[in-house]
Amino acid sequence: MAGLPPAPPPAGGSGGLPQFDVSNWPGQMVWILIIFAVLYAFMAWIILPRISKTIDAREDAISGDIGEARRLRDQAQAEAEQAAQEVAQARAQGLRLAAQAQAEAKAKAAARQAEEEAKLNDLVLAAEARIAEARSEAMAHVRTIAQDAAGAMVERLTGVAASGPELTRALTAHDAA
Amino acid sequence: MAAIEPMEQFLVRKIAPLPPVVVPGLGPVDLSITNSVLVMLIAAAVLMLFFLAAARRQVVPGRMQAAAEMIYGMVDNVLTGGIIGDKGRAYLPFIFTLFLLIACLNVLGLAPGGFSVTAQLAVTSALAVMTFLTVIIVGFVLNGLSFFKLFMPSGMPLPMALLIMPIELISFFVRPLTLAMRLFGNMLGGHVVTYMFASFVVGLGLFGLEGAGIAKLGLLGSGVSFALIVALMTLEFVVAFLQAFVFAALACVYLNEVVNLGHGH
Repeated sequence: MAGLPPAPPPAGGSGGLPQFDVSNWPGQMVWILIIFAVLYAFMAWIILPRISKTIDAREDAISGDIGEARRLRDQAQAEAEQAAQEVAQARAQGLRLAAQAQAEAKAKAAARQAEEEAKLNDLVLAAEARIAEARSEAMAHVRTIAQDAAGAMVERLTGVAASGPELTRALTAHDAA
Repeated sequence: MAAIEPMEQFLVRKIAPLPPVVVPGLGPVDLSITNSVLVMLIAAAVLMLFFLAAARRQVVPGRMQAAAEMIYGMVDNVLTGGIIGDKGRAYLPFIFTLFLLIACLNVLGLAPGGFSVTAQLAVTSALAVMTFLTVIIVGFVLNGLSFFKLFMPSGMPLPMALLIMPIELISFFVRPLTLAMRLFGNMLGGHVVTYMFASFVVGLGLFGLEGAGIAKLGLLGSGVSFALIVALMTLEFVVAFLQAFVFAALACVYLNEVVNLGHGH
C-alpha cells in the first residue's frame, strides 16, 4: 500500500486503494443520495402503493371467493338437509298410513269374523233347538208307542185290554223306578 | 502481458465533466458524471423500468409482477414486518429502496466491464450515514428525549449502568462505520480475489503455452483458476444479494430499537 497523502491521480493508480482518494468522495456521496431520494420517492409514491393495493385486492378477491364458496356450500348443505328431512317425513307418513290401513283392514276383518261367528252361532243354536224339539217329540212318540205296545202285550197275555189311564200310571211308575 | 493491477478497476474516471455545483453547507461539489455515477444512474433506471413494467394490477400475476410482489413480500414479511413488527409498514419504502438499490449496484458491479459502486467507500459511507441519521431522526421524532433510554438499559443497578452506558454509546456510534465497512469490504474483497484468479488464468496459461516440460503444468493451474472463478462468481452473486439483505436487515434492527423503544428492547 502506497502512502495516502500524495494520492496518485488516475491513470497510474497502482498500489493504494483508489477508494481512499477523497477528491471523488463528495461527488459520489451527493449522487448516491440524490439517486436514493429519487428512487425512494418513486417507490414510496408510485410503485409500493400499487403493489400493496394489488396484493390486498387479490387477498380480498380470494377471501371473497372463499366466502362465496362457503356460503354456497352451506346453502347446498341446508338444502340437502331439508330434502333428507322431507324424505324422512314422507317415509314416516307412508309408514303411518300403511299401519293405519293395516289396522283398519284387521279391524274390518275381525268385525266380519265376529259377525259370521254370531250368525253361525245363531244357526247352531237354532239347529240345536230344532234337534231338542225333535228329540222331545220323538221321546213323546216313544212313550205312546210304549203305551201301545204295553197295551197290546197286556191284551195278548191276559186277554183283557188295559185301559189307557192304567197304562199311563204303569208307565209313570216304571219311569219312577 | 499487462501489468497486474487489481485496484485499477476501482478507479473513478470522469466521463462527462460538469461545472462544480455549490451544495449548501458543503461548498462547491464536483458533480461530474463519472463511471461510478453512470452505474448509479443505470441502476436507478433499471429499477424504475423494472418496477414500472412489473407493478401491474392483475389479480393473476404474470412473471414480472410475481417477481415484484415476491420482493415486496420478502421485504414486508421478513424485514420490516419480521424485525420491526406491526409498526414496520411505515419504514417499508425506505428499507425496500435501500435493499434494492444496494442489490442492484452489487449485481451491476459483477457485470463484465461494470464498475462496482458499492466497492466505493464513499458510497457505502453515504448510505450508512444516511441510515444512521434516519434512525436518530425517527428515534427523536417518535420518542422525544426518551430516545436516550436507548443507551440506558432499564432495570439495571447504577454502577452497572455507568459501566454499560459508554459501551452502548460506542456501539451505537460505530454503527455507520460497521455498516459502511461491511459492504465495502465484501465488495472490494470479492472483486480483488476474482481479479487475481483471472490474472492467474492468463498468466499461468501463457506460461504453460510458452514454456516446455514442467512449465506445461501452468496450463493445469490456469484451468483450475478458471474453475475457481466460475465458483467465485456464483458466490459473488450470493454475496451481492446477501450483503444488500444484511444492510437492509441491520437498518431494520436499528430502526426497531427506536420504534419499539421501551417494549421488548
